[in-house]
Amino acid sequence: MGFKESVEETPNLKGKWMAGLGALRARDKVRIHPENTSTTHLRGSVYIDEAWMALDPRGNRWDYAIGYQHQNRSDEFIYWVETHTGADDQIAVMFRKLDWLKTWLNGYGKKLGKFDRLFVWVPSGATSFSQGSTQVKKLSDRGIIFSGSRFRIPLNHK
Amino acid sequence: MKIPPRYPRFEVENFGPIKHADVTFGNLTVFVGPQATGKSILLQLLKLLEDTPYIKKEFSRAGVDWSGKFTDFLDVYFGEGMRSVWSDKTSIKKNGVKIDLPDRVEEKRPNRQESMFFIPAQRVLALRDGWPSAFNYYDASTPFTLREFSEHLRLLMSDFGAEGTLFPVPRRLRAEFRDLLQAHIFPGFDLKIDTQRAQKRLVLTSTQEGGGSLPVAVWSAGQREFVPLLLGLYWLMVPAKAPRRTGLDWAVIEELEMGLHPRAIAIVMLMVFELMARGYRVCISTHSPQVLDAVWALRRLKDNGATAAELLGVFDVKPTPGMAELAEKVMKRQVKVYYFDRLGGTTRDISALNPNAEEQSEAGWGGLSEFSGRANEAVARAVANSNE
Repeated sequence: MGFKESVEETPNLKGKWMAGLGALRARDKVRIHPENTSTTHLRGSVYIDEAWMALDPRGNRWDYAIGYQHQNRSDEFIYWVETHTGADDQIAVMFRKLDWLKTWLNGYGKKLGKFDRLFVWVPSGATSFSQGSTQVKKLSDRGIIFSGSRFRIPLNHK
Repeated sequence: MKIPPRYPRFEVENFGPIKHADVTFGNLTVFVGPQATGKSILLQLLKLLEDTPYIKKEFSRAGVDWSGKFTDFLDVYFGEGMRSVWSDKTSIKKNGVKIDLPDRVEEKRPNRQESMFFIPAQRVLALRDGWPSAFNYYDASTPFTLREFSEHLRLLMSDFGAEGTLFPVPRRLRAEFRDLLQAHIFPGFDLKIDTQRAQKRLVLTSTQEGGGSLPVAVWSAGQREFVPLLLGLYWLMVPAKAPRRTGLDWAVIEELEMGLHPRAIAIVMLMVFELMARGYRVCISTHSPQVLDAVWALRRLKDNGATAAELLGVFDVKPTPGMAELAEKVMKRQVKVYYFDRLGGTTRDISALNPNAEEQSEAGWGGLSEFSGRANEAVARAVANSNE
């Protein structure tokens, strides 16, 4: 089962799958740069935060899932992208969001939880820490990549 | 008379590994980039441009004669075999005005005081025998900057008595710096002059009763690297009311982090700030991401209206009135950072040090954080897909 079908079979996400980066808000779309945007590779997107807002209004919901078929992989891959203020005091918030997402992926979102993945924090606005900082290492240690202001999805998986 | 710009600009083309360098110097200018990309050679060229008559006089005093041949001069100034840095395509401009270097070396100009003090990367060689050697001790294969640095240290020694203490010394450095250096670089030791079989030498003497003295050969690598740097800083920070040594405007420190623990690097960066506060135009080259961390913090704290105490907090230093005044002065100064790109042979202004920059040379701080970036990403990928 591919990304699109898995989205459609996930509770509350039926009908939410969008082609390309269509699920992303305009201000977030400009931050994501797939190397190849053809439908062969860019397998669509879904706005998780919005879809689950009514059901879990107090939860630290994650923003988006973006499906991608890398040229050098047999299975589709999911980039879990959160656009969020890039400040030290938001690291704890990001960890809460990750906890929410992982719980969700083990429950309602288990069909999407089966895909290989990457959790990506794309900072909105200025960033208060650098690439080599302890803060970024703390994030990596929990499985979150802190990208620059623009996140590139390569055609070939690393 | 034309007033020189506040921040001098040098443009250099086809000089050694440099195809095109365009550098505007701030109150502090930092050079980063891989080995052999032209950082040191550009700084040495800058010294040559600023101090040509002084350099010629020093060579003349030492009996060095290049017989009017510019290429031979290049070999004695930059070091043996370095004549190849120059070609008929080499071009140098200062503040937009072309400089004919062969003519400048040839012409007779009135002697001037030295305006740039240069602490070279090979500074440890100046104390290899435990005592700084005279300019003449070195042969013509040694770069001028090392010979001259060693000569300056030799002269500096005459400021101290035959059995004198070099560190800690009242009126040499701020008390705050002395305390930090004692705690982190010379714990339990004083730096002294000792005489062994009629030969003076530097030793680290234990402050414990009955403690012995350690000659240079048994110092830690960090102490061996730091002592010549400390003595160079003594030269710049004169123990008088004048903030600078007469005539000196520029201070160059190559690879200031060599052999030092991060805590010691932080102290040296604070001393660089002191040089800036005294009005020196400071240039440093570095391979240490920590140095750029310090520069980034300075810049971002300044941009966001932070206090002097907050800047000092980065260095884990208390905001004593003297240190707060120093930090306040530094936060008003301009800092420039340039990346030397090996592939293109060019320089790139990465002064913004924006971690979000699209240009990797800026986001990765001239390659100094790139390894961390790759390590972070690899770990994040592995953790995200593990069953933890």
